[in-house]
Amino acid sequence: MEAFIGNLELGFTTALSLQNIALCFAGCLIGTLVGILPGVGPIATIAILLPLTFQVDPTGALIMLAGIYYGAQYGGSTTAILVNIPGEATSVVTTLDGHQMARQGRAGVALGVAALGSFFAGTVATLVIAALGVPLTKLALIFGPAEYFSLMIMGLAFAVVLARGSILKAGAVIFVGLLLSTVGTDLQTGDERLTLGLVDMMDGIDFAVLAMGLFGFAEILRNLDNPETRDVVQAKIGRLLPSKQDVKDCIMPVLRGTFLGGALGILPGNGAVLGPFASYTLEKKIAKDPRRFGKGAIEGVAGPESANNAGAQTAFIPLLTLGIPPNAVMALMVGAMTIHGIIPGPQVMTKTPELFWGMIASMWVGNLMLLIINLPLIGIWVKLLKVPYRLMFPAILLFCCIGIYSVNNNSSDVLMTAFFGFAGYAFYKFGFEPAPLLLGFVLGKLMEEKLRQALILSRGDFATFVTSPVSAGLLIVAVLVVVVAIIPTVRKGREEAFQE
Amino acid sequence: MIRIRAPQETAAGLFLIVLAVLVFWQTDDLAVGTLRALGPGMMPRLLASLCAICGIALVVYSLVKDGAQLERWSIRGPLFILGAAIVFGLAIRPLGLFVAGPAAVILGSMATRDSRFVESVVFGIGMTTFCWLLFKVLLSLPIPVAPWLLGY
Repeated sequence: MEAFIGNLELGFTTALSLQNIALCFAGCLIGTLVGILPGVGPIATIAILLPLTFQVDPTGALIMLAGIYYGAQYGGSTTAILVNIPGEATSVVTTLDGHQMARQGRAGVALGVAALGSFFAGTVATLVIAALGVPLTKLALIFGPAEYFSLMIMGLAFAVVLARGSILKAGAVIFVGLLLSTVGTDLQTGDERLTLGLVDMMDGIDFAVLAMGLFGFAEILRNLDNPETRDVVQAKIGRLLPSKQDVKDCIMPVLRGTFLGGALGILPGNGAVLGPFASYTLEKKIAKDPRRFGKGAIEGVAGPESANNAGAQTAFIPLLTLGIPPNAVMALMVGAMTIHGIIPGPQVMTKTPELFWGMIASMWVGNLMLLIINLPLIGIWVKLLKVPYRLMFPAILLFCCIGIYSVNNNSSDVLMTAFFGFAGYAFYKFGFEPAPLLLGFVLGKLMEEKLRQALILSRGDFATFVTSPVSAGLLIVAVLVVVVAIIPTVRKGREEAFQE
Repeated sequence: MIRIRAPQETAAGLFLIVLAVLVFWQTDDLAVGTLRALGPGMMPRLLASLCAICGIALVVYSLVKDGAQLERWSIRGPLFILGAAIVFGLAIRPLGLFVAGPAAVILGSMATRDSRFVESVVFGIGMTTFCWLLFKVLLSLPIPVAPWLLGY
């Protein structure tokens, strides 16, 4: 307990330095601003804003990035409520009742409840991360290469099952991501792999190049093909603060949502996606009058939004303690950390405690800031929603170009990104989701390394993956998840869940 | 009579198969290694095989089950957006941000019919100025601004 408080204290002294508060504030503000813009989801937001952090020290950069992440997440919820367009899979559920509330002139209350619920969930999640950080890091130290490999297999299995669209395609996309990670010079033998003889490919495909190609350029191309009809709520926003009755209706859903979202977010597969769905289903089940749902029930906003935010934060746990990103956004954080010279994993906490705890404390500060920034500024956000796309996309294009160039000050990176932009466009036409690819790409190098290590340790015996009980358990879970998802009845349920 | 019932899946499957063939062709000189010491060719080929299996499965499915059509590919979007990026990449070193920036914005704007030329010129100059202030002046990233005029 004493260590827990000491750690948090260290974190808060770091997070509350003038520079870091300013960075956190800037991150939250810009993240919300960009996240709210038409056609820019959280992944694209982080990818576009990455270069803003280059000149800052690693701690500050991560604090700012985390701020951008929450901001983008919150921006997604705002568009879900006001325009009926979810920024990301996790805010899909918010559109159901949130947008209905907005149509009834209660947009303000919906936004207010979302912000307050998220703040509460964020506070709890921050404490959970702080409490679980130390024990999980210890657990990570007993993980050998075989266990790590199996853990990543399990994570990818979850990512396949939880991706939208067909399981076969999600699996294929992950394989392509893993394949892309093998490009470049082989670390053990020095052989060039799949470089097509290009000098620029010798160091492998740059993470930023892939991310900006798939999520910066390809998204523009996708949006140009399918201009989304923005059904901006014309009704008044109304007052922001919920009434006493609203608060009473919301307390329990918020608590349940926080618990569900937080617990699912810890899973080293994209568990955070499940949180809002689970919370919504639960609230609907136990409601006295389930018919109100879908017609502007405040519980249908409060619960999922809390679950969303709790999951968004506890998703940091596998990343910070085990070094394994659970989803595409976290994969992007890995990329960002690597650019700043930090390899995510258990050693971050022991080697640079002020970075680790500072980032955790800044999560809470960031949540508080979102509350302060968002509610008064909602009028500006509504105006931003009306920016025409014909002005939006050239600006995004320019930002991406400058961003990619400045990662390595290498102009051929921009050309490579254009190539991946086209690949992303083709993927979209083929019906492949790009997010699992990014996850596979980030995990690929680590997986190959661990696989080789494990096989060297076991002298080439594959049994090492099943003789270790931890590794065997993880693999069994992975197989079960995929098998269960393939069974027809469950598949139907899954399709329905995604359609809802 | 075999009929393609899900063109999107067929295309996706064929893409995966082509990718796998490409990988096998490119890695044929790399050692696969033994289990005790995996060679550099092992992972790429293993993954390519998995891609090929998924690809074949997709193609087979697309012949038996009805599914999505392959959407029309637009030429205008990719041409101008990616063209703008390539122009930016080629121009940033020799000509600097003050040329590459507006060029990318103006060229990129042409990706949609909604854009107006004068507007995109003004917007391009405005955005470039904004990016110069933000990235160069405020964040001091080493981006060439106008080497032919300013020497940096």
